[in-house]
Amino acid sequence: MLLQLTQIEKRFGGVTALRSGNLQVQAGEVHLLMGENGAGKSTLMKIVAGLYQPDGGSFLWRGQPVRLTRPADASALGIAMVHQESLLAPHLTVAENIFLGALPSRGFGLVDRRRVHDEAARLIATHNFPLQAGWRVERLSPAGKQLVEICRAIHRGSSLLIFDEPTSSLSEAETREVFRIVGTLRERGAGVIYITHRLDELRSLGDRVTVLRDGETVHTAPMTECTTESIIQHMVGRPVTAIYRREPLPPGEELLRVDRLSLDPLLKNISFSLRAGEIVGLAGLIGAGRTELCRAIFGLDRPTSGSVSVAGRGVAIRSPREAVAAGLALIPEDRQHTGLATALPIAYNITLAHFDEVARMGFLRRAAEESVSRRFIQQLRIKCESPRQLAGRLSGGNQQKVAIAKWLVKQARVFLFDEPTRGIDVGAKVEVFETMDALARAGAAVLMVSSELPELLQVPDRILVMRQGSLTGELPGRTTQEEIMRLAAFSQEASA
Amino acid sequence: MIQRLLPFLTLIALFAGLCIASPHFLTTTNLSSVVRQTAVINIMALGMTMIIIAGGIDLSVGSILAMGGLLGSMAMERGLPIIPSVLAGVLTGLICGFLNGLMTTQLRINPFIVTLGTLGIYRGVALMISNGLPVHNLPAGFSYLGEGAIAGIPFVWFLLVVCAAAVHILLEHTKHGRFAFAIGSNPDAALYAGIPTSFHTVTVYTIGGALTGLAGMIEASRLMTGQPTAGQGYELQAIAAVVIGGGSLRGGEGTVIGTLVGAFIMGLLANGSDLLGISPYLQQAIIGAVIILAVAVDELRKRKLG
Repeated sequence: MLLQLTQIEKRFGGVTALRSGNLQVQAGEVHLLMGENGAGKSTLMKIVAGLYQPDGGSFLWRGQPVRLTRPADASALGIAMVHQESLLAPHLTVAENIFLGALPSRGFGLVDRRRVHDEAARLIATHNFPLQAGWRVERLSPAGKQLVEICRAIHRGSSLLIFDEPTSSLSEAETREVFRIVGTLRERGAGVIYITHRLDELRSLGDRVTVLRDGETVHTAPMTECTTESIIQHMVGRPVTAIYRREPLPPGEELLRVDRLSLDPLLKNISFSLRAGEIVGLAGLIGAGRTELCRAIFGLDRPTSGSVSVAGRGVAIRSPREAVAAGLALIPEDRQHTGLATALPIAYNITLAHFDEVARMGFLRRAAEESVSRRFIQQLRIKCESPRQLAGRLSGGNQQKVAIAKWLVKQARVFLFDEPTRGIDVGAKVEVFETMDALARAGAAVLMVSSELPELLQVPDRILVMRQGSLTGELPGRTTQEEIMRLAAFSQEASA
Repeated sequence: MIQRLLPFLTLIALFAGLCIASPHFLTTTNLSSVVRQTAVINIMALGMTMIIIAGGIDLSVGSILAMGGLLGSMAMERGLPIIPSVLAGVLTGLICGFLNGLMTTQLRINPFIVTLGTLGIYRGVALMISNGLPVHNLPAGFSYLGEGAIAGIPFVWFLLVVCAAAVHILLEHTKHGRFAFAIGSNPDAALYAGIPTSFHTVTVYTIGGALTGLAGMIEASRLMTGQPTAGQGYELQAIAAVVIGGGSLRGGEGTVIGTLVGAFIMGLLANGSDLLGISPYLQQAIIGAVIILAVAVDELRKRKLG
C-alpha cells in the first residue's frame, strides 16, 4: 500500500472543504477520483501533494505516518502532481520548468544549462509532445502548459503521480499520449491518482474508483464492479432541501436568441433562446464553457462565428457598452473583481449602469440618487445602514443584491446570472431566487448559470447543459440530478 | 473620523504653530507669497487628483508644465497677445495630457511607464524647440498672472479657487467624475456596467494636462521667462499633495479639498522652515517624512475599518 488517507479533514476559515476524505492507493494501480464540482477532490489531492496541511485525520505513506508541510516534502517522498491550473514559471523555458526545483548544477551554484536543455529535449521526444525545450512557457496554450506539467511530474521518476483532470484542455492525440503514459507508469509499478469527470474515456484505464461527495468519501470499489449509473448516483446523492420552488409562467416573446455561436476553442456551435418570463438554467462542470458563453454574449470576448439577436433584432455586440445598450445585463460570478466597486458607496454602485436616471444635463441630482438608491435598497431588501455605506462592507448576499440593483435601474430585459448564489447564505439565496422570479414576472428573460444541482432543480423552467464547450442537451425543470450529471459529464454514447 | 480629519488638523496646527513661532508669518506679504508659491503645485495637483482617482498616474506633469510655459511664452515673444498666449500654453498641456491618455488606453501600457516615457519626451521636445535657452522678452502685463493682486489678494488665489471648484463639481456632481471613481475603484466592474472606460480615462488625463499647462503659464509669469527646464521634480510634489490629502494610488479615492490641504501643508512646511532658518536640505527630508506618515496613518485607518 502506497498511500492511505483516513478521515482527512480540511477547513478554510468557517468553510469545511473536507469532512472525511478516505483514499487508499496501491503501487501499480490507476485510481480514479470522481465527484461533483466542490466535492473536495482537488483539496484532498493538494493535501497529498503537500500544498495544504490537513486539520485532522491520518496520512500514511508506505505504512508510516507522515506530515508534509510543503510541496518539497511530497517530492522527496516521490509524490508528484500535475495541476489543473498551471503552476509554472511563465518567463522560464519549457526545459527550465521541467527541471525547476531540481536543476542540475555544475558546482558553485551554476546551472548546467546544456544538460537541462538536452535532457528535457530527450524527454519531450520520447513522448512525441508538440513542445520544444527552448520555448518560453508563457507562449504556450493551456494544453501545452499541461504537457510541461506532465513532463515535470514524470521526469522525477515519482512513485505516486496525481493527475488533476489533465485532459480537459488536451487534443485527442495528446490525450491518447497521456493515457499511454499513465499505462506505462502503472507497468513500472507506480501509483496513479486520476481526477476526472470523463469516466467513459477512462473506464479501460482505471483499476479502482473512489467517489467524493460534499467533502466525504462515499464509495470505493474496483472498476469492474461499477456501472456508470452507480457512479452517477454516488456523485449526485446530495439531498434536495426544498428551500425554494418557483411556479413557472407561460413564456412570452423571444428576448434573446443565440445562433450557432462559436469561440475557438472554448465554445462550439451554441444555439438557444430565452423568452420573456422564463428562467433558464445553464448547467455544466467547471471548464464546460458556461462563463465563456456569458462573456461572449455580453461582448467581453469576440465570438469567431455565430450571431445574437435581442428581442427579434440582430445585434452586433462588440463591447459591454453595446450589450448594455441592447438591454442585456451580466451579473458576474466574481463579484469582488468584476461586479462591484467595493470601495465605493452603495448608491454609486446602484446608479453606475444608468447614471442618466439620476442626472440632469450630466449633473448629478443628489436627491434623485438618494431616492433611487433607497427605492432599490427597499425593493431588494438590501441590509445596510445607508446608501452612503461602502458596498464592500456588506455581506455576500447583500453585495449580490447591489450588483443586481444596478441593472434594475437600467431596466435591462435579459439577465445573465453567473453563479448567483456563490458564497452567500441560505436566506440570501432564497431572496436572490425571489428577485430572479420577480424579474421574470416583470417580463425579463433570465439565464442562470449554476454548479449547484439542487438549485437548478428548484428555480429554472428548463435547463441547458454544457460539456466541453458544446450544448449537450436541454432538460425540463423537473428533471433529476442524475440526468443533468449524465449530460454534463459523460458523452451521449455512454449514457445511451 | 478623527483620522480622516487628520490632514485638516495638521494644517491648522501647522498654521497656529507658525503664528506663534515666527512674528513674520502672519503678515499679508508672507501669506501672499505662500499662496503664490503653492499655486503652481496646487493647480497641477488638482489634475493629478482626477488622474489618481481614476486609477492612473502622470509622472510627466513637470515636463508638461515646461512645455506649456515655454510655448505660451514663445507665442508672446512672437507678438501674440497675452490672453491668447496663455490659452496656447493651456492647449499645449491639454494635448500632452491627451497623448498620455491615448497611449495608456490604446496601447494598454501601464500609465506609470507611459508617463515615465513622456516625462523624457516632453522635456526633450521643450529643450529642442528652445535650443535649451529660456524665453525672456515677455510683455510686462504678463506678470499680472502670477504676481498681480485684486484688493490685496493674489490673482492666482482666485484662479486656484475657480479651478478647485470646477474640479470638485466635475468629480462629485457629474457623470464623468462618477465614472472616474468607478474606473479607479474597479475597472472591470466599470467595464461590465457598460461604461466607456477608455473615453473617460483619456478625458481625465486631458483635463490634468490642461491644468498643468495653466500652471506652466503661472510659473512663467512669476519668473517672467519661459524655461524649458521648469518644473523638474514637480510631479512628485503634485503626487505627494494628493496622497497627503487622502488620495490612494490604488485608485477610487481622493478629494479636491484633501489635495488642497496636502499642497498647503507642504507649502507651509517650506515657508516655516525658511522663516525659522531651518536648512533647505532638512526641509526636503521633513516633507518626505510627512508623505510616509500621511499614507501610514491612512492605511491604519482603513485596516481598522476593513
